[in-house]
Amino acid sequence: MTCSNFFSLSLSFSLLSFLLVALLLPISPVSTSTTSAAEQAKALLKWKAGFIHNQTHSDLLPSWTLTTNASSHSYPCNWFGIVCNQIGSVSHIQLGDVGLQGTLTSFNFTSFPDLVHIVLVNFTLFGTIPCQISSLSKLRFLSLFYNQLHGEIPSEISVLTSLRVLSLGANHHSGSIPLGIAKLRHLTVLDLADNNLSGSIPTSLGDLCNLTNLHLFSNALSGPIPLEIGNLKNLTELSVFNNSLTGSIPSTLGNLTKLTLLHLYSNKLSGPIPLEIGNLKKLTELSVQRNSLTGSIPSTLGNLTKLTVLLLYSNKLSGSIPLEIGNLTNLTKLSMNNNFLTGSIPSTFWNLTNLTKLSVFYNQFSGSIPQEIENLKNLSSLQIAWNNFSGNLPQQLCDGGSLVNFSANGNSFTGPIPKGLRNCTSLFRVRLENNQLDGNISEAFGVYPYLNYMDLSNNKLCGEISPNWGQCPNLTSLRMSMNEITGCIPLELGNSSQLQRLDLSSNHLIGEIPKELGKMKALSSLNLSHNHLSGRLPLEIGNLSNLDDLDLSANDLTGSIPEQLGDCFKMTYLDLGKNKFNGSIPEQMGDLNSLQRLMDLSHNQLNGEIPSEIGQLQVLENLNISHNMLSGSIPSSLEKMLSLTSIDVSYNGLEGPIPKNKAFKDAPKEAFTHNKALCGNAKEFAYTMSVTEKCDVYSFGVIIMETLMGRHPGELLSSFSLSSFLSLPSSSVEQPTMLKDVLDERISPPTAEVVQIIVFIVKLSFTCLKVDPQSRPTMEHVSHELSSLKSFFV
Amino acid sequence: MLLLLLTLTSFTSTLTNANLEGDALYALRRELKDPMNVLRSWDPTLVDPCTWFHVTCDSHNRVTRLDLGNANLSGKLVPELGRLERLQYLELYRNNLVGAIPEELKGLKSLVSLDLYHNNLTGPIPSSLSFLSNLKFLRLNGNRLTGRIPRQLTRLRNLKILDVSNNDLCGTIPTSGSFYKFSEKSFENNPRLKGPELMGSVSYEIGCDVRT
Repeated sequence: MTCSNFFSLSLSFSLLSFLLVALLLPISPVSTSTTSAAEQAKALLKWKAGFIHNQTHSDLLPSWTLTTNASSHSYPCNWFGIVCNQIGSVSHIQLGDVGLQGTLTSFNFTSFPDLVHIVLVNFTLFGTIPCQISSLSKLRFLSLFYNQLHGEIPSEISVLTSLRVLSLGANHHSGSIPLGIAKLRHLTVLDLADNNLSGSIPTSLGDLCNLTNLHLFSNALSGPIPLEIGNLKNLTELSVFNNSLTGSIPSTLGNLTKLTLLHLYSNKLSGPIPLEIGNLKKLTELSVQRNSLTGSIPSTLGNLTKLTVLLLYSNKLSGSIPLEIGNLTNLTKLSMNNNFLTGSIPSTFWNLTNLTKLSVFYNQFSGSIPQEIENLKNLSSLQIAWNNFSGNLPQQLCDGGSLVNFSANGNSFTGPIPKGLRNCTSLFRVRLENNQLDGNISEAFGVYPYLNYMDLSNNKLCGEISPNWGQCPNLTSLRMSMNEITGCIPLELGNSSQLQRLDLSSNHLIGEIPKELGKMKALSSLNLSHNHLSGRLPLEIGNLSNLDDLDLSANDLTGSIPEQLGDCFKMTYLDLGKNKFNGSIPEQMGDLNSLQRLMDLSHNQLNGEIPSEIGQLQVLENLNISHNMLSGSIPSSLEKMLSLTSIDVSYNGLEGPIPKNKAFKDAPKEAFTHNKALCGNAKEFAYTMSVTEKCDVYSFGVIIMETLMGRHPGELLSSFSLSSFLSLPSSSVEQPTMLKDVLDERISPPTAEVVQIIVFIVKLSFTCLKVDPQSRPTMEHVSHELSSLKSFFV
Repeated sequence: MLLLLLTLTSFTSTLTNANLEGDALYALRRELKDPMNVLRSWDPTLVDPCTWFHVTCDSHNRVTRLDLGNANLSGKLVPELGRLERLQYLELYRNNLVGAIPEELKGLKSLVSLDLYHNNLTGPIPSSLSFLSNLKFLRLNGNRLTGRIPRQLTRLRNLKILDVSNNDLCGTIPTSGSFYKFSEKSFENNPRLKGPELMGSVSYEIGCDVRT
C-alpha cells in the first residue's frame, strides 16, 4: 500500500478508536487499569526518591506526597505535572526545570501503560533512555528536549508506534540514528538535533510519510542526504545543518512541495544546487552556506517567490547571477559572498525592494553599481567588498536613510563619495578603502550619531578633514591614510573621547598637531606619519595613557621630545624618525617599559648623550637612533637590553665602547658607521676603525682631557683626529701653545713645575686618543707611565 | 505546542562567523572579564577579526599579533587560542589572568613571543610549549606557576629570552640545550627551585615532593 493510503487508513482507524473510547466512557464505573492509582503513586515517589536537589532549597515537588489533606483517592492525579485519564490512570507527565536532577533508570515504565504524553524538558535528566520505554505502547508525545541524556537512542523506540512527536534534541546522545525509527509511521515531528549522533541518515526515514518536521542539525552525521527524503511529501521543515554530510543535494528534494524551511548549511556537501529546488514554491528560507557546492546558481531559484532568506555564501559557486533572482521580491536577506561568481549584478536585482541585507563580497563580480540601487529603500547592509566593481558609486546611496553597514573596499570604484552618505545618519560601519575614489571630502560627510568605523584609506581623495568627525559620539576608528588630503588636523577631533584608532598617515597635512588630541583618552593607535606637520609635539601627548602605538615619522616636527611622552606606559611601538626634533632624548623614555616592537628616533637633530635609562627597556626588540647628533658614549646599561634584535646608532657623534650584548655584537658595520670613535667587539667597523679592545684606553684619554679642560674635549678631538690621520707627529712643538688655550680657566694657571707634569700627561693622553687603536698604548702601559709621575711628588 | 516551538526556534539559523580565527578569539573574549572594554570591538559577525582592536593580521587576513598587555583583563586563557597558527606575538602581560596555561598553545606554530608575565596564572608550565620551535621570547615571570620547569623546553633552539622568575616552581633548573645561556636572573624568586641540575649523579626529581 502506498504511503498516502496508509495515512488515510490510520486516520480513519484513530477516528474509530476515538469513537469506541467515547462510547465506553459512561459504562465503566471504576478504574479498569491493571495498575491502581496507589501503585502509580508509589512508582512516582520511588522515581522522585532517586532525584538529587541541584539547588539548596527544599523539596521542589511538594505535591508529590501520600500524606495530603485532599481526598485519598485523588493522588497522584492532583500532583504537580501529573494528569490522569478518565479512568484515573496517569496519562501525562509534564515537568520542566523543578530544581532537581534525575534519571529515567528508576522510573518503572511498566506501571504506566496509559501514558500518552511525556514532557521532561530542561529537567536535568541524566543517564540513558532505558529500553523499558518500549512498554509505553500508547505513547504519542515524547519530549526529553534539553537534558543531559547520553548513550545510544535505544532501538526499542521503534515499537512506540503511537508516537506522533519524538523530541530528543539538545542532549548528548551518541551512536547512530536507530533504523527502527522508520517504523514510527505516525511520526509528524522528529527532533534529534543538537546531540552527538554519528553515522548516516537512514534511507528508511523516507518511510515516515507523515513527517512534517525533520530536525537532525548539529550532530556528527556523515554520509549523504538520502534521496528517499524526497518521499516525505508532508515535510514543511528540513534542518540538517551543522553536520559532516557529504555528496550532492538530492534532486528529489524538489518533490517536497510543502517545504517552507530548508537548512543544509555547514556541511561538506558538494556538487551543484539541483534545479529541482525551484519547485519548492512554498519555501521561505533556503540556506546552503558553508559547503563545497559548485556550478552555477540555477535560474529556477527565481520561482521561489515566497523566499525571504537566500544564503549561498562560502561555497564554490561559479558563473553569473541569473536574472530570475530579481523575481524574489520577498527577499530580505541575500548572501552569496565567498564564492567564484562573475559577471555583473543583474539589473533585475534592483526590484528586490524588501532587501535589508545584500552580501556579494569576495567574488569576481565586475561592472558598476547603478543608481537604481536607491530603489532598495530598506537596505541596511550592503557588502560588496573585494570584487572588480568599477565606475562611480551611486550618488543616491542611502537616500532613504537606512544604510547601516556599507563595505565597498577592495574594488576599483572611482569618482566622488556618494552625496547620499552626507545625511545618512544610520551609518555604523563604512569601509571604502583600497579603491580609486577621487572626490573632495571636505563637505562629503555629516555628523553620524552611530558611526563606529570609517575607513577611506588608499584612495585619491582630496580636500580637508572635517571638524565634524569630532562630533561622532560612537566613532572608534577613523582611517584616511594614503590619500591626497590637505589642510590641518582639526582641533575638534580632540572631542572624540572614544576614538581608539586614528590614521591620517601619507597625506599632505600641514600645521601643528593640536594639543587637543591629548583629550582623546581612548586613543590606542595614532599614526600621523608621512605628512608635512610642523611645530612641537604637544606635551599633552602624555595624557594618552592608552596609547599603544605612536607613529609621527616623516614630518617636519621641531622642538624637543616632551618628557611627558614617558607617561604613555602602555606604548609598544614608537616612531618619531625623520623629523627635526632637537634637544636631548628625555630620560623618561626609560619609563616606557612596554616598548617592544620599535623605538625609532632616527633622522632628527637630537643631541646630548643617550640617557642610561634607555637600558630599562627590557623587552625592546628594535632600536634606531641613527642620523642624529648624539654624543658621548653608549651607556653600559644598554647591555641589559637582552631582547634587542636590531640596533642602529650610525651617523652620530658617539664614542667609546660598544655594549657587550648580542644585538650589538651581531649588528653589521652599517649600524655603527659615521660616529666619532666607537670601538669594541663588533663584526666590522667603518674604514677608519678596526676591531680592538682598547676602547677603555681611548675613554681614559677623553677623561684626562676632560679633567684638564673642565669640559668634554669635543672639537679638540675631531681636529686632533684629523691631524693624526694625516700622520702628523703626535707631540708637535705647537702643543704647549694649544694647551694654554684649552686648560680649565677656573683653576689658576700651572706653575712651571706643574706644567711639565701636565705636558707629560697630555702627551700620554694623546697617545690614548689616537684614531688607530693599534697605535694606542695598553692600559697597563698607561698605568705604568702614570705611576712614574710619583717621583715628581716628593 | 509551546514545546514544539521551543524545539524548532531555539537553534534556528543565526549567521555564525565563518572565520575560524575570529571564532577562536571570540572564545577568549567570552571567557575574559573586561572592565575597560578593550575587547568591545571584537565583533564575531564580521568576516574576519582583522579590524578588531589589538589584533594585527597579515596580508592573508591571518592573525599575527595579539596585543593585550596592561588591559586589566581577568579570567582564564582558552584552549582555542592554540588555533591561531600564524600568531607570532601573544602579548597578555600585566593583567589579572588566572587558571593554567593551556597545553593547546602548542598549536601556535609561528609563535615568536609568549608574554604572560605579571598575571595570576597557576598550574604548571606545559611541556607542550616545547613544540613552539620559533619561540624567541618566553616570559612567564610574576605568576604563581608550580611544578617543574619542563626539560623539553631546552629543545627550543631559538629561545633568546627566558624569564620564569617570581613563581613557585620546584625541582632543578635545566642547563642543557638552549638553557645554557640563561643566568640565575631568569629563575630567581622561586623558593622551591633547587638550583641547576647536576648531570649524572644527582636525581632530577629533587625538590618537587608530592606532599609539598
